[in-house]
Amino acid sequence: MSVELSFGEKNFIQGGIEQNLRADGRQRLDFRPMPIETGVIPQATGSARIRLGSTDVIVSVKAELGRPNSHHPGKGKVVIYVDCSSTVGPSFQGKKGEELSSELSTALQKCLLGGSGIDLSSLILVEGKLCWDLYIDGLILSSDGNLLDALGAAVKAALSNSLIPKVNILPDLAADEEPEVDIIDEEYTQIDTSSLPVIITLTKVGKQYIVDATLEEESQMSSAVSISLNRNGQICGLIKRGGAGLNPSVILDMISVAKHVSIRYIATLDSEISTAEASSAS
Amino acid sequence: MSSSLSTYAPKKLQRRFENKEKEWIRSDNRGFLQCRPAFLKTGSGNAASGSAFAEFGSTKVIVSIFGPRESKKAMMYSDIGRLNCSVSLTTFATPVRSKAMMGFEQNEKDLSSMLYKALEGVIKLDTFPKTTVDVFALVLQSGGSDLSVIISCASLALADAGIQMYDLLTSVSVARVGNNLIIDPTNEEENEQDGNLTIAYMPSRNEVSQVTLTGEWSTGKINQAMEISVAACFKLGDVLRNILRESE
Repeated sequence: MSVELSFGEKNFIQGGIEQNLRADGRQRLDFRPMPIETGVIPQATGSARIRLGSTDVIVSVKAELGRPNSHHPGKGKVVIYVDCSSTVGPSFQGKKGEELSSELSTALQKCLLGGSGIDLSSLILVEGKLCWDLYIDGLILSSDGNLLDALGAAVKAALSNSLIPKVNILPDLAADEEPEVDIIDEEYTQIDTSSLPVIITLTKVGKQYIVDATLEEESQMSSAVSISLNRNGQICGLIKRGGAGLNPSVILDMISVAKHVSIRYIATLDSEISTAEASSAS
Repeated sequence: MSSSLSTYAPKKLQRRFENKEKEWIRSDNRGFLQCRPAFLKTGSGNAASGSAFAEFGSTKVIVSIFGPRESKKAMMYSDIGRLNCSVSLTTFATPVRSKAMMGFEQNEKDLSSMLYKALEGVIKLDTFPKTTVDVFALVLQSGGSDLSVIISCASLALADAGIQMYDLLTSVSVARVGNNLIIDPTNEEENEQDGNLTIAYMPSRNEVSQVTLTGEWSTGKINQAMEISVAACFKLGDVLRNILRESE
């Protein structure tokens, strides 16, 4: 993800952020337009594609029948994995790409699954024996900064697009017997994504922080803090990137800024998802 | 908050958390805001240019520093030094033999990358261009708050190796159980926690070099947890300094 910028360009970006007018005309706390498409992958249970400028990500959700973990017999499982295609650029290839994909996967897991975002007990079919496993796979098609926020939003859109088939469980005779199931393909249930948090990354450039940084802006950052927030304004996860240290009061200030931004962001995301759902249904 | 019990016996996991809102006695009879007794020592390894051993309760960690030494030939020229962090767990570090455990390698990878992220902003990388410093951490016994112990121990080892840093890095983790905040949680407390905040903090610079937060938090609780951990980091910083002074 190396961007070679001249001295003048660097100055232009930094000065613009200082004066609250960024290179593409946005203010510091403005997001780029975020068109969403849902149902883009027919083989998946649910899928969504989100573009933020030239950042382009696809997330697919696959539901498979599985066995609950023996430590949590009353909970289904959710696995998040992000793949970085090397078609994005040379920096996504090989070991660097692997590192990035594991960093993004861990970050998403921490931010989205940490709290009560997805109700894992709703995925259970027979306690201790049968549950739905949700495999959430992200794919980065093109990168122009702010990958984590885009992926977080895409996961939310893909989950609300997911229809999980109803299952008839045949009453089994013995307790140790495997339950027999009958999947009804005509009836579906939806996953409740209303309490799934959104991720907002604040990138610190100079003394100011910006949301939805482009690749050029990210190259000028000293550090970035990704904060995941739910509808109630509760913080569900926080991750820091970048080497520079931050004063504890700056972190607390970032949290309150993110909280402020999240109200508008969640509303935009909700309306984009419902438009996408309406157009994919027609 | 400390209990009046005078004897201590290692106990199996006890479910003390039926009512998370009420105060309970922690399994090792600590107060909520009391860290585990710690033992730290520098210079435990011979071959390394610096090393340290840290023991916080039942969490035991060794960190060795190698270098600065010449970067591998395949590496490109760089006018700042490279930092390479690797954390490994022994097979007997966890109650279940860990190599057989799911996600074991992932755990090691996560710890390594967290250690790197915490240290990269603290070490003066421009003081050793073209060279690499290796930070190898080995968790002998995992007893909870592993990451914080690894980070604090690594900064002690780096100081022992004479690598220049902006400040000694200290790290503390705070768990939220119900409405209570407990500092330096053990494994069983981590299993019951509703949220966790781990920070790596430079006391003299008043800067956080790395922070992660999991679980659902209100802003007020974060403020409170942050205050608690910063205060603890200050104390830990003094402890580390004293150890370095004594070891000379």
